[in-house]
This record gives sequence, structure tokens and C-alpha cells, in this order.
Amino acid sequence: MRPTRALAAAACAAALALAADVPMSALARSFPPLSELPRTPLIFQDVAFASAGLRAAGADLAWVQMLQYAADGLDVFPGDSGYDHIKELSQRVTRLDPSFHRAYLYAAGILGWFHGVDRPNEALDILLEARRLDPGQKLYGLYIAGLAYKKKGDSERMVALLDSAYDDPQTSSIMRTILANIHQERGEYDKALAIWEDILEHDRDKTEHGRARVQIPKLEKLIRERASKRQ
Amino acid sequence: METIKAVFDYTLREHIRHKVWLSGALFGLVLLTGGLVASALAQEERVRMLLDLGLAAIETIGLVSVVFLTVHLILQEIESRAVFLILTHPIRRSHYLLGRFLGTLAAVGAGMAAMGLVHWALVRLLGGAGDGSYLLAWSCSFGKVAVMGALSLLLSLTLTSEAAAMAFAVFLWVLGHFTAEMRFLAERSGNPLTRAALTAISHAVPDFAHFNARDAWHAGDLSVGWAAAAALYVLGYCAACLALSVQVFEQKEF
Repeated sequence: MRPTRALAAAACAAALALAADVPMSALARSFPPLSELPRTPLIFQDVAFASAGLRAAGADLAWVQMLQYAADGLDVFPGDSGYDHIKELSQRVTRLDPSFHRAYLYAAGILGWFHGVDRPNEALDILLEARRLDPGQKLYGLYIAGLAYKKKGDSERMVALLDSAYDDPQTSSIMRTILANIHQERGEYDKALAIWEDILEHDRDKTEHGRARVQIPKLEKLIRERASKRQ
Repeated sequence: METIKAVFDYTLREHIRHKVWLSGALFGLVLLTGGLVASALAQEERVRMLLDLGLAAIETIGLVSVVFLTVHLILQEIESRAVFLILTHPIRRSHYLLGRFLGTLAAVGAGMAAMGLVHWALVRLLGGAGDGSYLLAWSCSFGKVAVMGALSLLLSLTLTSEAAAMAFAVFLWVLGHFTAEMRFLAERSGNPLTRAALTAISHAVPDFAHFNARDAWHAGDLSVGWAAAAALYVLGYCAACLALSVQVFEQKEF
């Protein structure tokens, strides 16, 4: 190929690439800019993953770190009084990969309903962002409604809503345990027991099997005691 | 075509016999099985993590291999003077270059395909990747590797320093993932010169930000139109880099 022909071929090929780039950019999924990543001590890790084009893998790692934080805390947050940073940790995950449905639901579940963590406004922020960045997931709206009932003090309707989402594949194991605890607090021991037994039966909730084994005999005892009192 | 095929065959054989290729593939397999262990930490998102880590490992190993191999591809033959012997045969320089590039790409693609098969089997074992999305994500990674291969070849012939070519290739790889940010900044910029410069750069560097099926997988909104445009983009970008490489190579005096 003569040099002039090579240059002409390069120009034609570049024009083809440019022409294809326009629809490709328009049809591709857009991600939140790096400037929106939460300023945590782990931001360099997030930026490094995003710069290398590994957003999904970076979000997975951030998800594991959030689970670690929820279980035992993280060294980068010393002196944490428990779940202080769960909102920003969930935003790390979802701003790297906005389609990480479970991260929104997990964090909102803990902030909204976990025993001793009463931060429904933060849960609401997470869910509203979820609806904006990841539209089409019905559980976000359902949790938002659940939080509204909680704020109004209408626990009957709140529990009914959460119960309706129990079998949804996106409902996390921790949300199922939260629901069991809510039933237990309301004195509905049979319902709580049924949930813990269901958790123990399913592999999807493997992480909560230990707690289920502890809770089932406790609830059985409570049910027996209540029955004997009635007699 | 005959000459391209002959160069392609010997390049493919040369790479597959090379220990670096084998080590790369073995390293990839170790990473994939490591991913199987690490993904257990993700609890309910185990399949997702295995999928993402595996695809990321395959693409990264493919990238490192293709940059390393293409940067050495011609420069080493010039240094060892083997290129004189080859070009004394009735073979066009463009055919030689194309055969060498395609042979290298085939070798890297074979390694990526082997890793992809093992990875896909692992993901299927855990109940994931039942549809054709895996093939699309893998093909996209291979497309990125092909673009980087063509770009590295052009850089190696233009810069004539292996270290500089590798450094530039990695720099362009990273920059390619910021094209969306560059276009956003260009839109916001009040200075027409800055806007023009940013727009030009964002189109000149490979547009990996919009060519990333691996990261967009979980949203599940990649259309056939996008895939067709992406395939054309890879074809156009590789052809432009190869044609420019031919231009540079034709002007070299041996």
C-alpha cells in the first residue's frame, strides 16, 4: 500500500469510527461522574477502579466492605458508634454502579428499620436516589411507602407492605430478619417464628442461619409460655 | 491474502509457543478460581461478584498481553534484523504488518477465550449468566483489547521506544474511560478553544467510557443498535490505527 493510499484509508476508517461513536455514546448507559463519589477514606480505591474501567468490580468490592462494616466495623472508621457511615458506604457502591439494586435496599433497610437504628430520613435519601439512578425497581417505591407509614406511626400498614415484599428476590436476608424482629416486637410470635424457619430452610439466607438457630428456640419458648398463661 | 495468512500463521505459532503467553493464561485461571473464593464474601451477590471479577481479570490480562506483545512485535524484529530477511521475500510491508497484528490478536483472543470458557462454566455452576449477555460482555472486552493492540502497534512504530509506547498505551487506556467526563466538561466550558480541544481529544482517544458492556451488564439495557455501533467503532478505530501504522512503516528505511 502506497503511503498516500494508507493515509486515505486511515481517514476513511477514522470517519467510520467517528460516525459509529455518535450512536454508541447516545445508546450507552451513563454513569454518575467521579466528582459525585462520596468523600470517604476509601475514595482513592473507588477512583482507581473507575479510571481503569472497572466500575462493576469496584462496586462489588465496596459492597463487601459495606457488609464488613455492618458486621464488625472498618478500620478506616475508628470510634464508630454503629452504622454511622452506612449511607455513604452505600453511595460508594451505587455511584460506581447505579444498577446495584440490593445495595440501596440493604442500606435503606438497616437505616429505616434495624433495631436501635432510627434514621428513616437517611433511608429515604437513599431510596429517592435509587429511583433517580436506577428506575424500574418496584421495591424502592414500596420501601418509601413503608417509611412514610413508619413516620406516621401506622405500623399495621407498614408491616403489611414489608410482608408483601418478603419473597421478592431483591429482598435481602437482613430485611427478612428485620421483618421477623418487627413481628416479634408486635407480639406476633407465630409470624416471627415462621419467618425464621423459612430463613433456615433457604440457601439464599445462608448468612442468617446462625441467628435463625438461636431465635427459633427462643420464639418456641415464648409461644409455649404464652399458651400456658392463657390456660 | 496468501502472504498475510503465512505471516499470521507464524506469528500465532510464535506467540503460543512463548512462555509468557502460557504464564498469562495460567495466571488468569488462578485469578478466576481466586475470584470463586473471594466472591463468597459478597453473600447474596456472589454470582454478580464472580462475574464482575472474572470479566475484569480477563480484560486486564488481555490488555497487558496485547500491549506487551504488540509493542515488541515489530521493534524486536527490527532490532534482531529478522525483518530484513522477511522483507527480502516478495511480501508487501502492509501485508506483513497486518499478518503480524492479526496473529497477535488471535493469540491473545485464544487466551481470553480459554479463560472466558472456564469463567463462564464457573458462573453457570452458581446459576448465573444464562442468557447471551456473557458473550456480549466478553466480545466487548475483546474489542477493547483489539483497539489497544492496534493503538500500541501505531505507538511502537511512531515512538520507536518500547517503554514510551507502553506508557502511552496505558495512559490512553485510562483516558479512554474518561471520554464522558471530557465531553461533559466541553459542554460546560465557556471558552470555544477549550471546548474544541476537549471535544477533539475525547473523539481521538478510544471511547471506552461508552464501550463497556461489562460495567453496564447489570442494568441490562444494552440494545442491538448499541452493539452494532460498537462493532463498527472497533472496526473503524483498528483500521485507522493500522493504516497509520502502515504509513509509518512504509517510510522506515532498513
